[in-house]
Amino acid sequence: MSDISKSIRKTDAAEKISGQAKYVADLKFDHILHALTVRSRIPSGIIKNIILPDLPNGYYSVDASDVPGKNVVKIILEDQPIFPKTEVTYLHEPILLIVGPDKAKVKELVNQVQIEYEETTPVFEWVDSVIHYHFEKGDGSKPFTKANRIIQYDYETGYQEQAYIEPQGFVGYTEDEKVTLVGSIQCPYYVKNAVIQALGTTEDQVRVIQPSIGGAFGGKEEFPSLMACQLAVALRKIKQPISMMYDREEDMLVTTKRHPAKIHFEAALDESNHIQSIRTNVGIDGGANTGLSGVVLSRALIACTGAYTIDHLDVSGDVFRTNTVPNGAFRGFGAPQMYFAIEMFMEHIALDLGVDPVTFRHNHLAKQGDHTSTNGTFRDPIIMDEMIEKAMEISDFKAKRKLYDDPKSNRGIGMSWFFHGCGFTGSGEANIIKAKVRLHKEKDGTVQILVAAVDMGQGIRTTLRKVVSQILEIPIQQVVFDFPDTDKVPDSGPTVASRTMMIVGGLVARAAKTMKERWQETSFTVEKQYEQPSYIKFDEETFQGDAYPAYSWGINILEVEVDPVTYQVSVLHAWSVYDVGKAIDERIVLGQADGGLAQGVAYGYLEVMRHESGVLKQKNMTDYIIPTAMDAPTMETVLYENPYAYGPYGAKGVGELTLVGGAPAVAQAIEQAVKQRITKIPATPEYLMELVNNG
Amino acid sequence: MVNGYLPTTLKEALELLNEHNLRIVAGGTDMLVQHHNLKTLPIDFKQDVLYIANIPELQGITEDDEYIRIGACEPLESILEHPATPKLLKDTIIEMASPAIRHSGTLGGNIGNASPAGDSLVPLYLMNAALEIQSIEGTRTVDIKEFITGVRKIALKPNELITKIILDKVEFTKAIFKKVGPRRSDAISKLSFAGAITIQDNKITDLRFAFGSVNITVVRHPEIECNYITKTVEELKQSVDDIVGAYQNFIRPIDDQRSNKAYRKQVSLNLLRDFIVTL
Repeated sequence: MSDISKSIRKTDAAEKISGQAKYVADLKFDHILHALTVRSRIPSGIIKNIILPDLPNGYYSVDASDVPGKNVVKIILEDQPIFPKTEVTYLHEPILLIVGPDKAKVKELVNQVQIEYEETTPVFEWVDSVIHYHFEKGDGSKPFTKANRIIQYDYETGYQEQAYIEPQGFVGYTEDEKVTLVGSIQCPYYVKNAVIQALGTTEDQVRVIQPSIGGAFGGKEEFPSLMACQLAVALRKIKQPISMMYDREEDMLVTTKRHPAKIHFEAALDESNHIQSIRTNVGIDGGANTGLSGVVLSRALIACTGAYTIDHLDVSGDVFRTNTVPNGAFRGFGAPQMYFAIEMFMEHIALDLGVDPVTFRHNHLAKQGDHTSTNGTFRDPIIMDEMIEKAMEISDFKAKRKLYDDPKSNRGIGMSWFFHGCGFTGSGEANIIKAKVRLHKEKDGTVQILVAAVDMGQGIRTTLRKVVSQILEIPIQQVVFDFPDTDKVPDSGPTVASRTMMIVGGLVARAAKTMKERWQETSFTVEKQYEQPSYIKFDEETFQGDAYPAYSWGINILEVEVDPVTYQVSVLHAWSVYDVGKAIDERIVLGQADGGLAQGVAYGYLEVMRHESGVLKQKNMTDYIIPTAMDAPTMETVLYENPYAYGPYGAKGVGELTLVGGAPAVAQAIEQAVKQRITKIPATPEYLMELVNNG
Repeated sequence: MVNGYLPTTLKEALELLNEHNLRIVAGGTDMLVQHHNLKTLPIDFKQDVLYIANIPELQGITEDDEYIRIGACEPLESILEHPATPKLLKDTIIEMASPAIRHSGTLGGNIGNASPAGDSLVPLYLMNAALEIQSIEGTRTVDIKEFITGVRKIALKPNELITKIILDKVEFTKAIFKKVGPRRSDAISKLSFAGAITIQDNKITDLRFAFGSVNITVVRHPEIECNYITKTVEELKQSVDDIVGAYQNFIRPIDDQRSNKAYRKQVSLNLLRDFIVTL
């Protein structure tokens, strides 16, 4: 048997390259209607009156009064209406749909809808805390009373837009009372469960199907549930196929983004320059609805020590409600904000102390057996020492660091160390998701993988088939993994949190092993359900225990040059070393590594999105700048094997790990080049000019 | 419902322009974006449209001893590849948009569009470009600086068409174009700068500066430039603070979604200074 890491051609490469892959907008139905959304023109107010134009025959409006079930989008925290009844809480909040056969006419009717509001004062400052968390490790306060030195910094991060290639979209149709939705989504069962609640119906009356997906990055985790509920309500009312496709600008104005964050850090240091305690306070802007913000905040707080072990912690954070577009899931999920802050903080402490940052950080690096920020334990081997040495060697880090310290140099090199907790935070897998997978053997020996995991480019259609074919020792062509359809596949959980290969793949591997034992049977199904490893215990209230079953680790080193005349940053080279347990397909992991790093680095210096009084200033791909191939550095990536006992073949999470270290590494490189402290990202030329001017 | 006209000769195009009120579309690379519509719906033009990209008389590049004449609808990518194209213009076009857009976009379109961020306008102002304008009534020639009158405002009568861009054949000792965009390619400028100098027998015989995206249109001030004619490069360098100071009041950028006033102004002046001190 060959090493599973050896790359094979991706299952969907040919259909995507040839243009044959069917995305939701490619699906054609006879007599399809088009749904467009009427949106709020103010950030905050009470709807006094809605005046609809005369709707021609065959045209409909759909609003809160049409919702047969509960008028709330089912996410973790249920505070988002499907259609608002009276109150609007952000600019462009959806109020009602206009549906009809001629899209141009629908657009015209949408523009004719008049809504009278009583405007209320919108909140844009971060003052209205809707979620507050606090936890301690050891005694967070005491070390500050006897500290040799206390160092504090404040850090800020901005919005980030997922910028998936394919905007959000659904088509839906009905058969009798049953509603079927086909959409560009990450989580078929999130959508299904939300729609069941919206329609007040039963499980068998809602079907959700996933076609080819043109990227997601977290942006299609919870947002699609809102669209799906609206469309389902329309389908129930009109009972004709309906298409609901967002254009780019609508998508960018109304869909969830990465939470902007403000992070305060204080460290109490002893005489030997060791951090005794860290106190941190984290604020994130949740936007108008809370949605997943609490879970994003948890992940950020738990990551507050970065890759280091700190004995005493005092950690608190808030989700602030503002009258802006709701923020939500995005690759990294709170960790990118926190890693930027902690990695800059460690660097800044070392520079303030006048000690070598690498040595300082190394003195605090987490080791196997250490207690995590939540008093869990790093049970598995941590091989960061070896990995750091490798990263510094291939990048010539030490020599370059020294060379670029020259006051005349406009180059810089920066390094980030990080981990990513794989899977859901805390007891989510065991208590909420309870993932279930099935394998089905057909009479002809074909094996069907029946899971709700979505291939949004990360290659799961290829890698899960690899796992099954290797275990069963059958050719990969004999293993089938169709697009998920909730009428056919069990709920294996959402495609999020770097969990798919480790958790779902782990279950699929277990099912395959059982299937192998029974292989002589002609046709049968094996089902497996997630069981939490017994050592994983986490108290959600007190933030105590093992927050994650496993950790992937990484190092990014970035080298940049800053133009002294224009303050523009050129990202020259990147070196990365990762421990993802075991790569199920090396090329797919390297693809994730390149893409994740590009997205993480751009978050640190390039991607700018701001709002002014709730109005997003960058609302299309002309103004929201993501890197092109011209902006990307050369990238060298080394993978280390460090198998995890419960992952298939030892695999841990990959997808998010590759993003979280990009911003601090590039920011550190830039600060060395401009000889100034960076405390905000994106580190734009405008900001760098300000830093240099202020000296 | 709008009508589109697709003439194949200049005469036909000029007659159509004379008879109807038409929106002129050359390469369409900005016009189509400005009038974009929901997907699957046709482009949202508000008036009838004249498509001129297929007219042979509006294409091609010719040169004689004095001038280079570029057809208004010659695609940017072809201008980039043509041996007669001045180096400064090539250095500008290579910084514009992406190869795909450059195959469609035209120089005439960039001028007619009159965006304050139109990159080609900067070297065209610097090179004192003239425009040949035609209507059924005849042909006239106008300086680009007279033609562009404001943000997206041009001195073109409803029945007229830009037919050619006429450039002097002039050789500079050094000429540069610097685009400052938010990324390295395929982006709209935050600001841009062009500088050119000719030195003979250690004396400056020609000196020109042009700034883009920092005012309603390209900033160029020959009355400042001419102060340094007949001076030496060393004298020019010694005057760098005066020169930068002289442009202070003319660089009046705005804050927008791409950048801010302070950055645009300081970096424009940094580029001017850098051009002079690195001569």
